[in-house]
Amino acid sequence: MLSRFHAVAVTVCLVLLTGALPALAHHSFAAEYDSTKAITVKGTIQKLEWVNPHAYFWVDVKDENGKITTWAFESLSPNALARQGWNRNSLKKGEEVTVEGYLAKDGKPLADGSIHANSKSVTRADGRKVFVGSSADDVATK
Amino acid sequence: MTKRDTGSVLLALAAAAGVALMPIHSAAQSEQDKTGKTGKFGPVGPGPKGKGPAAPAGPTPRMPDGKVDLQGLWTPGNSFANMGQVSLQPWADALYKERRANLSKDDPEGHCLPAGVPRISPFPQKIVQTPTLVVILDEGNIHSYRQVFLDGRKHLEDSGPLWMGDSIGKWDGDTLVIDTVGFNDKTWLNGQGVPHSEELHVVERYSRPDLGHLEVDITLDDPKAFTKPHNFKRTFTLMQNAEILEYVCNEFNVDAEHLVGK
Repeated sequence: MLSRFHAVAVTVCLVLLTGALPALAHHSFAAEYDSTKAITVKGTIQKLEWVNPHAYFWVDVKDENGKITTWAFESLSPNALARQGWNRNSLKKGEEVTVEGYLAKDGKPLADGSIHANSKSVTRADGRKVFVGSSADDVATK
Repeated sequence: MTKRDTGSVLLALAAAAGVALMPIHSAAQSEQDKTGKTGKFGPVGPGPKGKGPAAPAGPTPRMPDGKVDLQGLWTPGNSFANMGQVSLQPWADALYKERRANLSKDDPEGHCLPAGVPRISPFPQKIVQTPTLVVILDEGNIHSYRQVFLDGRKHLEDSGPLWMGDSIGKWDGDTLVIDTVGFNDKTWLNGQGVPHSEELHVVERYSRPDLGHLEVDITLDDPKAFTKPHNFKRTFTLMQNAEILEYVCNEFNVDAEHLVGK
């Protein structure tokens, strides 16, 4: 699937998950996302939805031919993000970001056609990280 | 290879590869420190390393009637996952193994259904107490509440079955003992999928040894699903200047249709 979207902005590599951090998802990470398919996506924020059970944000990625591909990233829940000092204005439309995360297992897009993935952190243009954390940190289902 | 073995191998591989094992929450914490944004909603839920926020010091508070005051917003840190290994009967063990093999894809929580008792999430719980009623409010994974009646009533003759059970309580010295029955068999006892039957019986013993800590000793029995009773403990930390936040699980639960398991 990835070859369709060019690997310029997308790097897939093996990630070794460790750590014992609390579950912050209402679902099993491993049932939905593939921890062996880590991705790094660079693009611009199209929109952010501050919704339950997980905040979602969409990132537009332009390839060398100018074609835009949209990714949809699941983040933590709004309450978990809020307690860490982030809110719905922490990512702004049009802002350049680099997102680290994991691909969905089923390879199916969301209903709007965007590529479905899980975010573990977002790095803004100034280097600051926001929305740090992922249901991959879940200890409850490991 | 067991899960623990797999974890050890991964750790060894990670070390060999020189992978930096930086706790994700420590990154979040440093971000907080720079922005000074802590405090608006209270401390970070699970806190660095899952240990919860620093516990405030002080004596055990008491209600006007002299009973221990259990009230507050409490975070379990990693102790929410403390249940350990339950000794299961063959049918229950087979179901548990099936759920493990499916990577918990059918966990009711993934479909925004209640966690049941005594399963909790790492999100905080709020305890509200009167002499005759204790209410436990769960922030997540979905909003749930438990009513614990302390007015001397017996369990309902025919209660349901219920997602959160029928709870009555009484004081044993400074310990509140909550007895809960009347469950359905739909909830999982933890995220790994330990099952139970409608005969599940939960006895929780709540104590507050000081201002900042809530200790809960939990005994589960289920003659249909377990081979023997199971006991474990959780320790909660008081979150001060904090409140329960909203969590409306069904708002945008796009996960459900993408939970494929293997």
